[in-house]
Amino acid sequence: MKNKINIYLIEYAINAILRQKYKSIFITTIFTLLVFLLSSIFFITNSIKYELNSTVDALPEIIVQKVKAGRHYDMDGDSIDSILSISGVSDAVARVWGYYYFENAGVNFSIVGVDSYEKQYKDSLANIVEKFDLESDKPSMIIGSGVRDVMNQNYYKDYFNFIKPDGTLKRVEIAGVFDGDTNLESNDMIVMSKDLVRDIFDIAESKASDIVVKVPNPDEVPTVVSKIKILYPDSRIITSEDLKVSYQNIFDYKSGVFLALFVVSLFTFFIIIYDKASGLSSEEKKEIGVLKAIGWRVDDVMKEKFYEAFIISFFAYTLGVALALAFVYIFQAPILQNIFIGYSQLKTNFELPFILDIQTLFLVFFLSVPIYIAATIIPSWRVATLEADEVIR
Amino acid sequence: MNKKSKTTFYVFVSLFSLVFVELLYLSYAKTLSKDSLDKKIDFIKLAQLPDLAISTESSYIRHRSLSTIGSIYKDDGSLREYFPSTFAISPSHTINKENQ
Repeated sequence: MKNKINIYLIEYAINAILRQKYKSIFITTIFTLLVFLLSSIFFITNSIKYELNSTVDALPEIIVQKVKAGRHYDMDGDSIDSILSISGVSDAVARVWGYYYFENAGVNFSIVGVDSYEKQYKDSLANIVEKFDLESDKPSMIIGSGVRDVMNQNYYKDYFNFIKPDGTLKRVEIAGVFDGDTNLESNDMIVMSKDLVRDIFDIAESKASDIVVKVPNPDEVPTVVSKIKILYPDSRIITSEDLKVSYQNIFDYKSGVFLALFVVSLFTFFIIIYDKASGLSSEEKKEIGVLKAIGWRVDDVMKEKFYEAFIISFFAYTLGVALALAFVYIFQAPILQNIFIGYSQLKTNFELPFILDIQTLFLVFFLSVPIYIAATIIPSWRVATLEADEVIR
Repeated sequence: MNKKSKTTFYVFVSLFSLVFVELLYLSYAKTLSKDSLDKKIDFIKLAQLPDLAISTESSYIRHRSLSTIGSIYKDDGSLREYFPSTFAISPSHTINKENQ
């Protein structure tokens, strides 16, 4: 029963931790903060990615844009007919949408036109719109809650005056506000009829911002894409598969804030490691020497050091993860969230959906605990292999 | 087992139960519910536009999947990234897909 855990060694390890109280507290605090910071960021990015991926399948399979001189241009509406004639395509819709810059508040609204939204979408609209009120014949729109807040601050309660390119005003009534559950998607959106969007942006009847194509069979998407590409060589085609791939690396770990955070936290961690690995204090060396003199073997010393390092690092890891879970999902990551939101005037009020990602937990675990244990054991091993009298002297 | 070992043991047990209770609570209360997921999908079907409204400062971050090669240069010809959100959110990698 040589492999049995020796409870006396564990007791000795606990005593050793408590003997160096301040050093242990310091290391535990830094370690906990490091784990907390790393796992908080991973939790936030995981939740946002989860949110993106859970709705990506509801999007049309193919989006066709026209690119001219490296810029996005309006397409000809007639293109739809030739795209519809490609076999495998079940539907193609010319979309009209764009950004409206509201100068008073300095914010951008995304305005989307839909086909006579009053009739076709009434059922699904009733599901996602609060205070739906659409009885008048006046031009009307449905807005996201962020847009409503900005408009309210500028004294537009029931309607909004859009300034058209020629300088005239277009008054549009607010018919409803999108449900708070869709905040992450709808915060800056305004949905209105296509004719109204054309009027506000001055887009001709024959033009469209882009074309969305529905292909029921996913295996046929690449063929349809290449056919569209042959028909319209100046087009840029985005498939929902492309979107999924691009969401994989939506957060740029290579630059900016992430790099800064990683560098700072890893640097702190390596200072601890360096401090530990650069050699033990004379007191710790003496301790190992005394232990060897009274009959401890090298592996006993190393086991004891392992327990010591494991208790500290595992305690700090668990505490860090517990704090990060509470910080991100219960308190909604107060300061860290701003990294992702930026300083945009149109603040989004959203709840991060909880998603347990075991991989992240393992990643943070293997980034921290084994490295710390190794940094504790290796110098102890160096001392423990020396002769006892040499160490004590 | 002496008193200190017992205390250590209890500290670890309570930490684990804390994490466990947290996970239970979060998976019960904070997971994306079927109802709100349906609403999100309904909205996406209506608007048919991808991406989240977490940062609306610039079009190539707001609708990053739809931004074109020129969108990044539109705001500034020298590609100066003056929107803080670009430090965290990368431009779409579908832009220069062929070159990768």
